[in-house]
Amino acid sequence: MTDIESALKEMMLRGLAGDANAHARLLGALSGHLRAYFARRLGPGTAEAEDLVQETLLAIHLKRDTYDPRQPFTPWAYAIGRYKLLDHFRRTGVRRAVPLEDAGVLIATDSAEEGATRRDLAQLLDALPARQRALIADVKLTGYSIEEAARRQGMTPGAAKVAIHRALRRLARKVSS
Amino acid sequence: MRTEELIRTLAADAPAAPPRPLAPRLAVATAVALALWLAVMIPTYGMPAQAAPHGWFWMKNAYSVVLAIAGLVAVTRLARPGGRIGWPIWLALAAIACLAAMAARESMMAAPGQMAPLWLGSTWRVCAARIMLFSIPTFIAAFWFLRRMAPTRPALAGAAAGFFAGAVGAATYGLYCQESAAAFVVAWYTLGIAICALIGAGVGRWLLRW
Repeated sequence: MTDIESALKEMMLRGLAGDANAHARLLGALSGHLRAYFARRLGPGTAEAEDLVQETLLAIHLKRDTYDPRQPFTPWAYAIGRYKLLDHFRRTGVRRAVPLEDAGVLIATDSAEEGATRRDLAQLLDALPARQRALIADVKLTGYSIEEAARRQGMTPGAAKVAIHRALRRLARKVSS
Repeated sequence: MRTEELIRTLAADAPAAPPRPLAPRLAVATAVALALWLAVMIPTYGMPAQAAPHGWFWMKNAYSVVLAIAGLVAVTRLARPGGRIGWPIWLALAAIACLAAMAARESMMAAPGQMAPLWLGSTWRVCAARIMLFSIPTFIAAFWFLRRMAPTRPALAGAAAGFFAGAVGAATYGLYCQESAAAFVVAWYTLGIAICALIGAGVGRWLLRW
């Protein structure tokens, strides 16, 4: 987690210094974290979640000069994501409390338990061909839609669906054996 | 638009954005607004009457100035996403507690019939309203500042802006005010500033959305 924080902060600082590539990589990395964060609260793969990802990225871009380089980066980005989620609920008239969590949830990957699960998962996924593995990771773990995941792999959505189906069958066989 | 396209578009327009300290920016905006305001007020109200300041004058103005400093720092902290108030709230509470203790001491030493003059002075009806009037330029400057930033707790940031504006208003009005009792100041100055903070919270809820 601290690795992710320092990597994100590094990209942010370079972006602020005028490095457009670092800025693009930062937004790309954040889109993954934000997608997972919104998916946990709105359901994975919903259009709303993706809209919120875009809105938040836009806000992060427009307000990037409000980041104080002396502070950690993740809480800043988390506050914007949470603010956009609250704003979404307010606009759609949903009365829902959004807990103010530790900003780490935005990039959380490894509590001890999750770490063990993650290792098991990695072992399982290793049994798959590279392309199927990438598709499964994008769709089932990161929360991309099938269309997006297909594009990332340079495949048609139909082919991606078939590949995901095969991968899941293979995983099921491996788990039951 | 696809998210990847959005990222490409945004990254294509990402010039260097050097970080700027916020407190000086807000202080300058406030000073400009205040100067414009006094340019109108001095011809209307005349020059401040405090030609020869006494001890109580410093007490009164130190109180307002300390609260204004706490407000200034609180506003700049809440202006950033995820910002928290932190020590300014303790500074403000300490200042209020200090003056309240002075007021209590005054009250205990006062003769029986002197209590009402101590707490009400001769201007208690207008004091809070005048502080609000004098807070207007700072109120505008602070909201202008916050709208260019990104407060993620709009009502709280608005309240801090109102508090800051009220404290600066109190410091300015203090130059005209003839009251000299700590009891009067802790009651009516604090009331005026608190009303400004409440108004700020309400205004912040809708004016600080982004």
